[in-house]
Amino acid sequence: MTRSKLISGLKPVLFTLPAMVPFVLFWLAPLLYVLYLSFTEWDFMSPEKTFVGLQNYIDLLSNPAFYQALRVTVLFCAGSVLPIILLGLGLALLMNHKTTPRSGALASRFTQVLRGGPTFNLKGSALYQVLLFSPWVTPTVAVSIVWSWIYEPDVGLANTVLGFFGLEPIGWLQDPKWALIGVLLVTIWKSVGWAMIFYLVALRNVPSDLLEAGELDGASPVQKFLRITLPLISPTTLFLFVVQLISALQAYDQINVLTQGGPSGSTRTLLYLYYQSAFESFQIGEASTVAVVLVFLCMLLSVFSFSISKRTTHYQ
Amino acid sequence: MRMLTRLSGPARQIFFAALALLMAFPFYWMVTSALKTNDEIWRSPPTLWPEVPLWGNFAAAWNEAPFARYMGNSIFVAVSIVILQTINSGMMAYALTHMKFRLKGVFAGVILFGYMVPATAVYLPGYLVLSELHLLNSYAGLILSNCVSIFSIFLIRQAFLQVSHELVEAGEVDGASHMRILWTVLVPVTRSSFAVLALITFIDQYNNYFWPMLITKDPSLQLVSAGLRSFFVEGGAYGLKWPLIMAASAFTIAPLLLVFLLAQKTIMQSVNMTAGSSKG
Repeated sequence: MTRSKLISGLKPVLFTLPAMVPFVLFWLAPLLYVLYLSFTEWDFMSPEKTFVGLQNYIDLLSNPAFYQALRVTVLFCAGSVLPIILLGLGLALLMNHKTTPRSGALASRFTQVLRGGPTFNLKGSALYQVLLFSPWVTPTVAVSIVWSWIYEPDVGLANTVLGFFGLEPIGWLQDPKWALIGVLLVTIWKSVGWAMIFYLVALRNVPSDLLEAGELDGASPVQKFLRITLPLISPTTLFLFVVQLISALQAYDQINVLTQGGPSGSTRTLLYLYYQSAFESFQIGEASTVAVVLVFLCMLLSVFSFSISKRTTHYQ
Repeated sequence: MRMLTRLSGPARQIFFAALALLMAFPFYWMVTSALKTNDEIWRSPPTLWPEVPLWGNFAAAWNEAPFARYMGNSIFVAVSIVILQTINSGMMAYALTHMKFRLKGVFAGVILFGYMVPATAVYLPGYLVLSELHLLNSYAGLILSNCVSIFSIFLIRQAFLQVSHELVEAGEVDGASHMRILWTVLVPVTRSSFAVLALITFIDQYNNYFWPMLITKDPSLQLVSAGLRSFFVEGGAYGLKWPLIMAASAFTIAPLLLVFLLAQKTIMQSVNMTAGSSKG
C-alpha cells in the first residue's frame, strides 16, 4: 500500500475520532467497567477489590429493597409514560381538530392554500402551545423546588386548593401513599406539552384526502380515528414511548429534590437505589449490580419496542 | 372522539385558556411567592398578589449565594459543549454518511448500542474513570465527559443523509478537502439541524444536575442547578427563607424561558427533526 493510499484510508477514521474517543472513554469503557465491578466487592477506600463471582447478584435477588425499588420503578414508568402519551395525544387532537366548513372540502382546501399551510380554527393556539411547552425547557431542579413549595403541607397551594373544595389536606411528599403521585405530577406537568407538540406535527402530516375518503365511505369520526389517524401516527407514539420510558428509568432530579427516595422508600426507584448504594453507602459491588440490571432492562425494552414497531408501525 | 368533535370553538377556547393558565401557574406562583415577606408567605389562605411586592428579594437572594458564579459556570460549560458537539457530531455524521471505510458498520452499531444504554447507569464507573484521569473537580472534566451526544450524531446524520452525495463528489472533483466540504458545503445546507443541536444541547447542559453534581464538589465549580439545590438545603434556607428560594428559582429559570421565547420556532421545529432522527 502506498503512503497516500494509507492516508486516504485513514481519513474516515480520523473523522470519527473526535466523537469516538470520548465515547469510548466516558461511555463504553465505563459500561464494561461496571460489569466487572458487579462481580467484586469494594468500598471505594480499600486498595483491593475482592472478586466475589455472582454473589452480588444472588444478594440483590434476595434483597427486599431491590423488589421495592423494582415495584416503584414499574409504577413510576407506567404512571408517567402513559399519562404523558395519552394526555399529549388528547390535547393535540383537541387543538388540531378542524370543524368541517359548510361550504365543503374544496373550499376548505382553498382557504388552506390561501393562508399558506394547515389552519387551526382555534384562535391563539400558538400561544397555548408555547405555554404548555414551556415547562419542558426549564431546569428540573428549579421547578421541583417550586413544586415542593406548592406541596407544602400547611399553607401550600395544593392543599389550599383542596381545602377550597372541602377536601382534607394531603401529605403530598410526606405520606408514603401520596409521595410517588406527587413526584409523578411534576414529571407529567413537565413533559405533557412536549408530547402534545410531537402529536400536533404528526397529526398535521396525516393526509387530509385519506380522511376525506374515509368520510365519503361513511366512516364515523371514531372509525376514522382508529382506522386512519392512529395507525398513521404510530411512529410518533412509538418514539414517545421509548424516549419517555428511558427517561423515566433515569429520573433523578425531581426525586432528589422532592423526596430523596422517601418516605420509607416509596419513591426510591432502581436508579435512586443505585445512586444511594454507590455514593451514600459506598457499596460499589451492590451498586454496580443494580446498574447492570438497569442497563439490561433498558436494552430489553428498546429491542422489544423496536421489534414491535417492525411489525405494527406504519412508516410512510 | 365524538365528545371532542362536538366541543365547539368557544368551549375549546375556554378549555385551552384554563389549561394554559393551570400549566403556567407554578411560574406565576414562584414569582409572587418571591415578592412576599416571610410573614405573608406563611399566611393561610395565601394571597394571590403580595400586599407590598418586595422586589429587593431578588437582589437579596442573588447576593446570598454565588449565583453569578453558578450561572456563569453553567453558561460557559454549556456553550463549550455545544461547540464541541457541533464539531464532533458533524465530523462523525460526515464519515457515516459520505465516506467509505471498512469499520463503518461497526462504528454505526456501537453508536446505536450507546443509544440504548441509560447514561445515568454508567455514572459510577464514569466517576471512577474521571478520577483516574484526574478530571474530577475541573471544567475539563465537566466539558469533556459530556462532549459526545448520540442524539446529536443521529440528528446530524439524518440531515446529512438528505444531502445528495453528488454535492460532495463535486467538491472532491474541485480538489476540496473533506474538511472543507463538510464545513463549507454540508453545514450551510443543514444549518437548521445545527441550530436545533445547539439549542437543545444548550438547554440540556444548562439544566444538567445529576452528573455535574457528582463530579464537582468544589462550590466554585458548581453549575446553577446544583448551586440552587445547595442554597435550598443549606444555611437554614430549608423552609425558612421561602421567598428567597423562590426568587433564586426564578432567576435560574429566567434565562431559559428567555431563550425559549426568542427561539421557540426552532425549538418547536426540533420536534420534527427528533422524530425523524429516531427512524433512521
